[in-house]
Amino acid sequence: MAAPILKGVRELMRLVDLALVPRRHRHKKKWAATEPKFPASQLALQNFDMTYSVQFGDLWPSIRVSLLSEQKYGALVNNFAASDHVSAKLEQLNAKDFVNEAISHWDPEAESDHSVAPSTACSPNLRCFTFARGDVSRFPPARLGSLGVLDYYLMDAASLLPVLALGLHPGDTVLDLCAAPGGKTLALLQTLCCRNLAANDLSTSRTGRLRKVLQSYVPQGIRERNQIRVTSWDGRKWGELEGDTYDRVLVDVPCTTDRHSLHEEENNIFQRSRKKERQMLPMLQLQLLAAGLLATKPGGHVVYSTCSLSHLQNEYVVQGTIELLANQYSIKVQVEDLSHFRKLFMDTFCFFQSCQVGELVLPNLIANFGPMYFCKMRRLT
Amino acid sequence: MEKDRMPEVRGRTERYFRRHLHLHAMAVFGRQVLGLHHHIPLTWVRLAKLTPHLGEQKRTTASLLRKLTTASNGGGFEELPLVGPKKCVQQLQCQANLVYCLPEKQGTSVDGEPRRLEKVVCSLLDMGFSDAHINELLSIQPGPSPQQLLDLISEFILLGVNPEPVYVALKQSPQLLNLPVVQVKKRSSYLRKLGLGEGKLKRVLHSCPEIFTMRQRDVDEVVQVLKEKCLFTVQQVTEILHRCPNVLREDPSELEYKFQYGYFRMGIKHVDVVRTEFFKYSLTKIKQRHVYLERLGRYQTPDKKGQTQIANPLLKDILRISEAEFLAKTACSSAEEFVVFKKLLALEEEELESSMSEEEEEEEDEDEEEDEDEDKDEEQL
Repeated sequence: MAAPILKGVRELMRLVDLALVPRRHRHKKKWAATEPKFPASQLALQNFDMTYSVQFGDLWPSIRVSLLSEQKYGALVNNFAASDHVSAKLEQLNAKDFVNEAISHWDPEAESDHSVAPSTACSPNLRCFTFARGDVSRFPPARLGSLGVLDYYLMDAASLLPVLALGLHPGDTVLDLCAAPGGKTLALLQTLCCRNLAANDLSTSRTGRLRKVLQSYVPQGIRERNQIRVTSWDGRKWGELEGDTYDRVLVDVPCTTDRHSLHEEENNIFQRSRKKERQMLPMLQLQLLAAGLLATKPGGHVVYSTCSLSHLQNEYVVQGTIELLANQYSIKVQVEDLSHFRKLFMDTFCFFQSCQVGELVLPNLIANFGPMYFCKMRRLT
Repeated sequence: MEKDRMPEVRGRTERYFRRHLHLHAMAVFGRQVLGLHHHIPLTWVRLAKLTPHLGEQKRTTASLLRKLTTASNGGGFEELPLVGPKKCVQQLQCQANLVYCLPEKQGTSVDGEPRRLEKVVCSLLDMGFSDAHINELLSIQPGPSPQQLLDLISEFILLGVNPEPVYVALKQSPQLLNLPVVQVKKRSSYLRKLGLGEGKLKRVLHSCPEIFTMRQRDVDEVVQVLKEKCLFTVQQVTEILHRCPNVLREDPSELEYKFQYGYFRMGIKHVDVVRTEFFKYSLTKIKQRHVYLERLGRYQTPDKKGQTQIANPLLKDILRISEAEFLAKTACSSAEEFVVFKKLLALEEEELESSMSEEEEEEEDEDEEEDEDEDKDEEQL
């Protein structure tokens, strides 16, 4: 009974299908065997080879080999756990707290041209242990401390730089516009400066991860006292939602996540199906940064960061946004000079020397952190 | 070449032999490692001392002296410190005391031995061994009987190895001397069958003397792998054994893996594997340099048509050169980075191996369990 009906329906479908596709686009689909099938990570590498070899020239091979090799981690000490014991344990592994090292080695005489002392320029209370240059040791997984939270968080040590650069002061209201998976948000909390922290990420699955991280690193009491608010809104609309509200805003935008894209096939931004999305990334980044700046109080600071090497997603976005804000909202934004910051952490990270605005950490086998771009801005009006 | 030279060499050695026979025979008796060329006066004294023991070989020192002097005057032995008989006698007298102090280690207690020994020495001289070498060969402990030594050495000479390399090989691996002659004969005919005769064996014997001591089955396995698993032609196998004798020492399955790495990962054809002596290098070294270049973006695996998007460096510029040269010329990178890279690669390999063995174990363990569990595993990951 049903068979002839089904057949008829199928026939009809075929006709409709044919009718919808203009004749000139109709073609017989080829078998997959003839189509070269590249994994997305391969496509990513091809893409990088084309763009970055032009952008970085002779530096590119060294960056490339570092991206393709194992990255180095930093252990961000959890201030909410009983942490003296943790520091001793990490020191025993021959790791060093690079933040403390940098600040204690700061020579005010040589840097007299900068009026800012590092202690005020950098966010306080952060301790992050890394192994020395060329040391490829790994950290053991974090353990539960006495307060039921893990004692340290393993992350790319370069990810701490945007948070350090943000220069938090006690009592700041802080917004993390693209918070997940939570490393930088956690670092923001570790500064013990946030009177109020709003952590947002568009995707609910990602905010779920963020919540998990907060749960395992921040005790319940502090989570409530710090008034952490986790939301899943569209960050691009923050200017309209909460304009002129925050003292400090971190805009860690979605990007091509260069290192990740070379190793992970799942959800890779370089998949052919996500081509459009990838091409729209700079636009999205620009919108997010603009929203972040709009959400800042005049006089407040914003740090824009990506983990991509591409100028298109870094400097151009910053410059484009500043121009956009000046033209459309008549808001003046000033890029802050971070060269003193670069000098401060030169021993731990390998910085790119010729960024027009902001700083870029280049992966290098000896210090295989990054890539990490960050640019600090100050909203003037 | 080798063949052509033989009559000439033989003629020369015969003349040499006639001139110096007695002298050499005596010297060998003493089993004293005396460089004859430099210590000739010493040896005379030794002769004088030994002659009384030698029944029918009794000759006066004077007659010997005469003979030797004529020989040395006849040319071809300029280094001899002999100017005239008188001076020699003087020297002899001077050194006589010294000689008598030398420890005696001779084994001339059996009456028949001197004759046999003499014969052996004659034959060895005949083959073109220098007397110093003969001395040393005879003094290797624990050594075979002189006759066996002679048989062994003649077997090598018959395979087309020159006396010098035979001496070096025997000196390096005295275990060769204790082989039964039958086995050597059998092995030599096998090697000849493989194409390793006619002077080709010299190199093999030099870098892999085990070729005579190892079990037939092991040699067979290596040859088998090269022929049947790696699909080399018979000629290529001969060439490989000749140029890279170390293959004999390798585990057959590892040898196959090394070939596969070269063929599939690096895209080296059979001919080039042979020509560039690819098997000579350890897999670790090959991997380190190849993967480093690949990640730097300086080496690509050719596609099935043998094409690459960049020009690959020549194999000799990757493997045959020193590390410093490799870094400067081929990789254009720093030693510091390469050191770290090697450490990282070793870690990666270690992890790969452990994960592979884990997988194998899991497969063994969970043979009976159904696929349903896989979904769960994935979620956990």
